[in-house]
Amino acid sequence: MKLHEQKQLLVLADEAISYGAIDAGVKGVFGYPGTPSTEAFEGAERIIHALNDGRVAHWAANEKAAYEMALGCSYAGGRALVTMKHVGLNVAMDPLVNSALTGVKGGLVVFVADDPSMHSSQNEQDSRCLADFANLVTLEPSSHQETYEFTMKAFELSEKLRLPVFLRLVTRLAHSRGIINRAESEGIVNLGKPSKLESHNWVLVPGYARERYNYLRQILPVLERAVENYNSITFGRNRIGVVLSGMGRAYFDQLCRQNEIVRSFTRLDVKAYPLNHEFIERMCAYCDVVYIFEEDYPYIEDMFIARAGSTKIHGRRDKTIPISGELTPRKLRKTLNIECPESEHKVEMELPQRPPRLCLGCGHIDSYKAIRETFIKMGIEDFRVFGDIGCYTLGYEKPHECLHTCVAMGASVGMTFGAALAGMSPSVGVIGDSTFFHSGIQSLLSMATSKVNANLVIMDNGTTAMTGQQRTIFSQDIVKAIEGLGMPKDQIHTLIPLPKYHEENVKKLTEIFKAERPDVIIFKRECVQASKSRRIVKN
Amino acid sequence: MDKSCVSNPTGVVVAGVGGQGVITLSQLILGAAWKSGYFAIQSEVHGMSQRGGSVNAQIIFDKVEVSSPTILEGTASLIIGMEPLEALRYFNLLRKDASVICSTSPVRNMPIYPNLDMLIAELKKIDGTFLVDTDKISEELESKGAGNMVLLGAASKKLPFTEVIWHQTIKDRFAGKEQSIIDKNIEAFNHGKKLYSM
Repeated sequence: MKLHEQKQLLVLADEAISYGAIDAGVKGVFGYPGTPSTEAFEGAERIIHALNDGRVAHWAANEKAAYEMALGCSYAGGRALVTMKHVGLNVAMDPLVNSALTGVKGGLVVFVADDPSMHSSQNEQDSRCLADFANLVTLEPSSHQETYEFTMKAFELSEKLRLPVFLRLVTRLAHSRGIINRAESEGIVNLGKPSKLESHNWVLVPGYARERYNYLRQILPVLERAVENYNSITFGRNRIGVVLSGMGRAYFDQLCRQNEIVRSFTRLDVKAYPLNHEFIERMCAYCDVVYIFEEDYPYIEDMFIARAGSTKIHGRRDKTIPISGELTPRKLRKTLNIECPESEHKVEMELPQRPPRLCLGCGHIDSYKAIRETFIKMGIEDFRVFGDIGCYTLGYEKPHECLHTCVAMGASVGMTFGAALAGMSPSVGVIGDSTFFHSGIQSLLSMATSKVNANLVIMDNGTTAMTGQQRTIFSQDIVKAIEGLGMPKDQIHTLIPLPKYHEENVKKLTEIFKAERPDVIIFKRECVQASKSRRIVKN
Repeated sequence: MDKSCVSNPTGVVVAGVGGQGVITLSQLILGAAWKSGYFAIQSEVHGMSQRGGSVNAQIIFDKVEVSSPTILEGTASLIIGMEPLEALRYFNLLRKDASVICSTSPVRNMPIYPNLDMLIAELKKIDGTFLVDTDKISEELESKGAGNMVLLGAASKKLPFTEVIWHQTIKDRFAGKEQSIIDKNIEAFNHGKKLYSM
């Protein structure tokens, strides 16, 4: 039997979303790669390819584009899934917030993977807050089976509420493997486009937007009721209360199987938001003390603190649990004063860290070598290079030490230009090709026709390497694209970052960096990982 | 959840360097646990660690439902180290009577790699630590990935899954590859099992 036909599967929770979406009759899957969300898209793409029944999976240039494609798919009546990591949600916020006003037609599910402890991210932001900000519903599973089922239910809920629905996972769940039992697949859903009567809802000019916004602000009780059944209180004989969501719930359930005392606690299981205040009031009326176990921000905790009365609330705010970092089984035990086993195997010698590094034979190494040497030859010892997000971010470390900022996707281009405008000369930035097309190109529109000494190095390896070699959305000639932005031809340079061209590259870079004008340097060389395992392009 | 049931889940750690095959090996253990009728979850760390950094995966299985994908410190019963330094990083997870199955072949992709003899001495502090020169064995068996399967074969002596299940799990994992690749993997697995018994 083919994998996509099996009813019981051992999968990543990310892939439970893929199967949930397929079995719910999804028409389109869209996304931008970002750890730990990537496999949800990739799983769906694999199944769609195998099924070959008219569904689509499309990597977009960035999360905003992906979101808008999903919204268009929904407008046309199809169910749509859009996948991204938490910081990617920031990029998609503009259409997302406004789509809460327009509403949706086909169910639209927004899968966002949060990354507490920042295993591979720039921050620890909590997507529940952004869903709340947009007045939307969030489902938060804590097991593989729940992830699968909640994905299917999210589509129904989205169509019932006529709003996008969030599905929130954290790294520990997204990147763990477990068992799912699949339900019967529904056929591909098609609800048709919005009727003429409702089509003005989609035109957010002030007259219509005010009407839609007022409506959205008034339906909070409707949203709370719609997800009420996901949340539940189990009163125990113990007046110690616990509030459990996501991994907090997973770890507590595990603890219950191993510790009798905690089984008598009163518990509030939170699997969906917005959380009705009545749950909080009932918990606080019964419990003397409540411990809150949730990932990232003290989101539920703040709701409790606001309504606690004489009940003591323990969580991240009072530092019972550290304000940052993911939950662990040990943190739960410590918080609840349950004995923690200590390992007796202490390693006495110091174990040095093994930081990730650029692959042997990676073109980025040669690019950085050339940039560094150019600055030194120009007599600029304390040089700065604006950096971006991708494998090449590793250029900050030894022996390269050739990258001095990593802020947000695409930020290097704007920062390079901004610094040049402020008088930095030469101002130099580096960016990968996928990141450039994600959100770097917009700043180049300003830089291209300027007169300042801004130098953008595009490290073109032809792939989104960091997240596992997804294809870059733009497969045409980058030089032509940049010419099209108004950049004069003689200010665009293609260099090959190979050791044999090193001297030549340094010479060219020196000329370029000295010239008081904007320049784009494309360091073009295939990713070594990609060339090792050249993927079959499926579309 | 059965409230009367008190469980005692088994935790297994697989440690290594990005690119060594940590995830593949841990998936095999997870698959064998699943095929043997256990409840099982496995967690792994991706992302930055893919580029030659530290990688670890954890497998938890039990006769009753398992909901935590991460192992509580001091409770893991087995660690499979594909690299000596990496194995030592997770010793805090091990319980008193834990078993260590570890490669002695270092991956030196870092500025200063510790003294190998000292690392091995630390590994040997645990009774019954089983060490394998995986580089040498891979050469002997003329197969690049053989070292990992030898480690798994040795580790299988410490895990409650039958040989039939192991072989089937390996076949399923490499389904679609040439028969000779499947055979080589099973051969290496059996070799590891035999080595451990010697």
